[in-house]
Amino acid sequence: MNKIVAVHSYKGGTGKTSTSVNLAATFVKQGKKVALFDLDFRAPSLFAILECEKTEMWFNDYLNCTCEIDKCLIDLSVRIPNAGKFYVGFANPSAEAMQDMATKNRKWEERALQRLLSLRNTLLKEQKFDYIIFDTSPGLQYSSMNAIITSDFVVMTTTGDCSDVNGTKRMISAYYDIFKNKTGLVINKIIDDSLKSKSAELSKKVKETYKVPLLSAVPCFCEILKAEGKYIFPQDKPDHPFTKILAEMAAKIEKNELE
Amino acid sequence: MSKEEVLGKKPLAVLEKIKENLDRLNEKIDIIIEIQKSSKETMIPDASLDVMTLLNMPDHLRKTAITICRNGRATAEEIADQTNRARAVESAYLNQLVTMGYLKKQRKGRKAYFYVDKE
Repeated sequence: MNKIVAVHSYKGGTGKTSTSVNLAATFVKQGKKVALFDLDFRAPSLFAILECEKTEMWFNDYLNCTCEIDKCLIDLSVRIPNAGKFYVGFANPSAEAMQDMATKNRKWEERALQRLLSLRNTLLKEQKFDYIIFDTSPGLQYSSMNAIITSDFVVMTTTGDCSDVNGTKRMISAYYDIFKNKTGLVINKIIDDSLKSKSAELSKKVKETYKVPLLSAVPCFCEILKAEGKYIFPQDKPDHPFTKILAEMAAKIEKNELE
Repeated sequence: MSKEEVLGKKPLAVLEKIKENLDRLNEKIDIIIEIQKSSKETMIPDASLDVMTLLNMPDHLRKTAITICRNGRATAEEIADQTNRARAVESAYLNQLVTMGYLKKQRKGRKAYFYVDKE
């Protein structure tokens, strides 16, 4: 079943973009048709990570109603050859665009929500995309909340940092109504060699702390840091443990199987 | 014989207290009516169904509002099918959202369609 997935977190630097890009790539590698969108208009990053040289239209333009979705979707399937289809909608990284997005009024945000919601029809139903993935802005932001309301599944990324744990917990509990039944937690940068033997214990602890199930536990891999954000793991490092974790994560999202 | 002498001092004081309280109650009601009038006047033209408005809504209205946002345009019956609540309940909530200025309502024959105004 086709789905809209939002990758969100309370704080920045928790691995949202890395998870979004590599999760999208995992689905593409499996032969799926995927659209990945950068919804972090305050600090766009996909443009640099995916080394996109030029685009005429941005995802900002779609939300501003100055173009239709096809015009801002860039086909990057060549980055993952002999697989499915990989399209990306970039957030405009220029200072003017960031300023423009930071000063939108509530009426504009209402329209932006409508534009996001209509992607279900245009991309999933009409153009037969299998997945739409939103890489969001951390914390309570209009664009992120719009993405969460639009999505069928929310991947919340977090780390062991105490302020992150506390904030993530409060965020999920405050907006539990919109998060419920569709949120999985990804704990990134875990520094623990015996992670595997403790997975059941960790699942239990996550459920108790956050009231949502654990989707994945990702150890702190030096290769992820070394990649400087540029590796598409399922393509460039198919045998890496992170690639395996991503495959398991994708399977759980696909089957909607959360403990 | 004066009034005070007939009723005694205590009952008269009680009556005066009651009158005083009624006056205060009347003043409060007048203020509430004024607030309602002004909030209705200012709310309707500016009301937008953005995500923060949705998050601030009471749970029962939010469920209806999110469902109508996802559908774009729908009847109370169509919304009820998705929320698993009674049609009459959804109809009441949808009409409440129209009164609050968040939705528009359009009649077509016997059916009433609710939608988010895009202008």
